[in-house]
Amino acid sequence: MSITVYLVDDHRLFLSGVKAELADEFRIVGSAFDVDTAIVEIRGLNPDVVLVDVHMPDGGGIAVIEGVSESNPDVRFLALSVSDQAEDVIAMIRAGARGYVTKTIEPPDLADAVRRISTGDAVFSPRLAGFVLDAFAGAIPSEEDPELDQLTLREKDVLRLIARGFAYKQVARKLEISIKTVETHVSSVLRKLQLSNRHELARWASKRHIV
Amino acid sequence: MAAVRSFEFSRRKTNRVMGGVAGGLADTLGIPDAYVRAAFLTLLMVWGLGGVLYLGFWLMAYDKVEDRDVVAVDNGRGLGLGLAFLGLLLLLEAVGWWPNPALVLTAGALAFGTAALTDSSTPGPLAALMDPNVDRPSRLRLILGVALLFGGLSIFITSIGPVFELGVVFLAIVLTGLGIVVGFGPWVRRLIVDLGTERNERIRQEERAEMATHLHDSVLQTLALIQRTDDPARMAILARHQETELRDWLFGAAPLDGVDLVSTALRNAAARVEKDHQVPIDVVTVGDHLLDKESAPLIGAASEAMVNAAKHSGADRLSLYLEAEDEKLTVYVTDQGKGFDLDKVAPDRKGIAESIKSRVENAGGTVEINSEPGDGTEVVMRMPVESG
Repeated sequence: MSITVYLVDDHRLFLSGVKAELADEFRIVGSAFDVDTAIVEIRGLNPDVVLVDVHMPDGGGIAVIEGVSESNPDVRFLALSVSDQAEDVIAMIRAGARGYVTKTIEPPDLADAVRRISTGDAVFSPRLAGFVLDAFAGAIPSEEDPELDQLTLREKDVLRLIARGFAYKQVARKLEISIKTVETHVSSVLRKLQLSNRHELARWASKRHIV
Repeated sequence: MAAVRSFEFSRRKTNRVMGGVAGGLADTLGIPDAYVRAAFLTLLMVWGLGGVLYLGFWLMAYDKVEDRDVVAVDNGRGLGLGLAFLGLLLLLEAVGWWPNPALVLTAGALAFGTAALTDSSTPGPLAALMDPNVDRPSRLRLILGVALLFGGLSIFITSIGPVFELGVVFLAIVLTGLGIVVGFGPWVRRLIVDLGTERNERIRQEERAEMATHLHDSVLQTLALIQRTDDPARMAILARHQETELRDWLFGAAPLDGVDLVSTALRNAAARVEKDHQVPIDVVTVGDHLLDKESAPLIGAASEAMVNAAKHSGADRLSLYLEAEDEKLTVYVTDQGKGFDLDKVAPDRKGIAESIKSRVENAGGTVEINSEPGDGTEVVMRMPVESG
């Protein structure tokens, strides 16, 4: 049974392009140009993966994730956009998206990302890796849960290599670890990103009213 | 602004009695000529003051003698002018420059009475009182005119009676002031409103001009380039470049205005290489640093590394990664292209590698080039900087 995918993007041209690219491998169950339609349809269709644009009228990708996450907790989101501000992307991840890629991504890489997301892995594009390193940079705050508020050296190594443009496979080879370990590190970073109380993250989040 | 210039009156050429001065004044002030003539006539009774004024206005009048469109009568201003005129008369009387009150007042009453009756621009007094269709300003004007007449008469009566001169002077001042306020208040207010409107309009025009200039320099140029290109890859890059640039401009992605940052400079450099060599470049920056003497050589070196990779690697995209730490900046230029054996480099490529090295090393940094045939190339440039 193939993976079901739903697309949300207010740019129709881009939407039809992505549809064509993914149609061979995945079952595209639907698409929407606006937030409200997307929420209603995703609730009904319960797809495996939703590709959602970060910036759209009426609340953007965050509104879609928030409108669906409670009723359909199994739906996984991949955020997609041209070149957004770090805080918007981080806010998407904190709202529940499991990855972020730029729209300039090559079709095979996008398909790869959808597959990865559908199995519960995280997808970090170079840009997202950079955002995360930035967000976790600086002195470590003395919070109750310091483990959540900082990245391990290994996680930073992985993120740096991703930011430099290497694929997971290459990262694994460079660090002499398995791909599975790379995936584990990335998932762990995603968890920290979603749960950390780090000052910068909290500030980003509160600015977007998602905490 | 037009309102100010309206005091630069010119004489009338047609429809005039003498030199066209009264007519010209009437056109300028926007009141019927009959009242202006009445005023001159009344002042003539004050030791010929009317005549002197007439000659004075004649000299002041612009040489441009022409027929003018009749200005719409402004009731408030007409009333104000009347009040001011009456105040002036009273003042003249009070300071004793009024030799024969009876003569002046009789002349004034006759002149203005005739003017009111012959004024063709408003309905006659009877029509104004009786006709329900007559508009309110005209009716009001008539009532105020009558009240003024009574006021003037009563002042005349009291002034020849045993009343304090001081009271009359005070009344004259109040009356004149009131006349000026009533007559010119709306005009002054409109002047101020006009000035404000004009200023806003100018600001809007400047903004529009700025936007037009920007769109012309950026979007239009790019559209023109796209139209002349039939290579889809080049079109896509041009469009992408323009989109990024427009986004930055619209949403102000530049963090600090007027301050140059290493990240911004690297982004710009990457955008240029992208445009010139038609290879997309993913730029990721972590942290930042001011673009100064220490960090500037990195930009040139990174540009060269990107150009080199774009030309020779065969990769369909490049990565540029900047990590700014407290004591050092590190820039990685990575491609997934064909790579090369460092020991068997073609002389021209070696030259480029050397050039990148010397740029960075002369500035106190280090360069590391990692490459293997079939496994891409990475140029790592490190530059120590002072913290902050």
